[in-house]
Amino acid sequence: SQPLAGGQAAELQSKVVPSKQILHSNNMEMEPETMETKSVTDYFSKLHMGSLVYSCTSKRKNK
Amino acid sequence: RMEASCLELALEGERLCKAGDCRAGVSFFEAAVQVGTEDLRTLSAIYSQLGNAYFYLHEYAKALEYHHHDLTLARTIGDLLGEAKASGNLGNTLKVLGNFEEAIVCCQRHLDISRELNDKVGEARALYNLGNVYHSKGKNVANAGTHDPGELPDDVKNALQKAAKYYEENLSIVTELGDRAAQGRAFGNLGNTHYLLGNFRSAVLAHEQRLLIAKEFGDRSAERRAYSNLGNAYIFLGEFETAAEYYRRTLQLARQLKDRAVEAQACYSLGNTYTLLQDYEKAIDYHLKHLVIAQELHDKIGEGRACWSLGNAYTALGNHDQAIHFAERHLEISREVGDRSGELTARLNLSDLQMVLGLSYSTNNSMMAESHAVENTLNGGRPRGRRYSMENMELMKLTPEKVPNWN
Repeated sequence: SQPLAGGQAAELQSKVVPSKQILHSNNMEMEPETMETKSVTDYFSKLHMGSLVYSCTSKRKNK
Repeated sequence: RMEASCLELALEGERLCKAGDCRAGVSFFEAAVQVGTEDLRTLSAIYSQLGNAYFYLHEYAKALEYHHHDLTLARTIGDLLGEAKASGNLGNTLKVLGNFEEAIVCCQRHLDISRELNDKVGEARALYNLGNVYHSKGKNVANAGTHDPGELPDDVKNALQKAAKYYEENLSIVTELGDRAAQGRAFGNLGNTHYLLGNFRSAVLAHEQRLLIAKEFGDRSAERRAYSNLGNAYIFLGEFETAAEYYRRTLQLARQLKDRAVEAQACYSLGNTYTLLQDYEKAIDYHLKHLVIAQELHDKIGEGRACWSLGNAYTALGNHDQAIHFAERHLEISREVGDRSGELTARLNLSDLQMVLGLSYSTNNSMMAESHAVENTLNGGRPRGRRYSMENMELMKLTPEKVPNWN
């Protein structure tokens, strides 16, 4: 025998009705990390290139 | 001659990384290290950039190694600003690796030195990093259980409240400095922290600010992130129509940006939202779209989830044939990926459906007993496999009747 009385069927159905339990997306969208940067260029241009660049540009200006 | 060569290689590495080709950049930096230099500041810059390149390539063990070299070197030559930067980078890397306590020490060092040097920009960046570490720490502990946002143990709450405090301190400095991009980042992560704390109204306010700044910059990825986060917050405020509107905008931008994984995520969110709105036809429409992309991307876990959602939606519509089809598919996929929780759910769904349809299930006692055994093993932790999904979605209870009480 199949015990499918109306009330029981409704109750069983509610168990699988999605509003009772859904797979909710918990996917938060985070902002990117910020990394600190060092550069060979910065250092080089400050300490070595400074005079070089100057002499190059002044040479170019002279031409 | 060798000196110049090391420098030339490093310069090429820098150029390649700036152009977005970190993999090639790494080769040049590593060649530069091989050649070597007597100039320790140059070497420090190379180590730092190697660390960052590996960080962006998600090779965090390597990133850790190089940022650690950089820190040692900076200390050796007494370069305080260099030490601060290396500490910050090391902190970020340790955070990703889940070593939160050491990450906090490093980020705190970055903060202390920046304050000592009266470097406001550095101070703000260190505060943002600290906020991120505490946010990750809180989220990590929270994920060990299956908590809904707003229902948190004390240690999680403490970590998240610290994160919020650091983001707010960061915000006051970057506002003073007029750095809108930094404000945007802080608002986004502050919003997510409020969301986890269950302060959904505050989350909305923060994400609205994030949205405003994203639009100012024409940053469509950030705009899409803000829409998605706003959608999530409105779900928990019980304002499903508003949530649906934000998810629709997320979907629109995901399509414009041609990001299929994000498009799938948006479809899934929309499917769930229409389920909450009890508009099952629309829910099915979006879950089918999600299913197609999950299959296309060979994302089995996503596919299983789509089948589960579709089974439920068809059940709600009384379309039991389709419901059984998707429940069976869900069971198949759960077995395939070793998702024990999914397998249990699928079995229960199928037996319920069989009963609704008046099919015999009384001979399946052994199956039910097995299901209960599975359930018992699940109480401890998260099922394996879930965390590897492209969508990083959690199984959680969401009872609409409960939502208004969460405000």
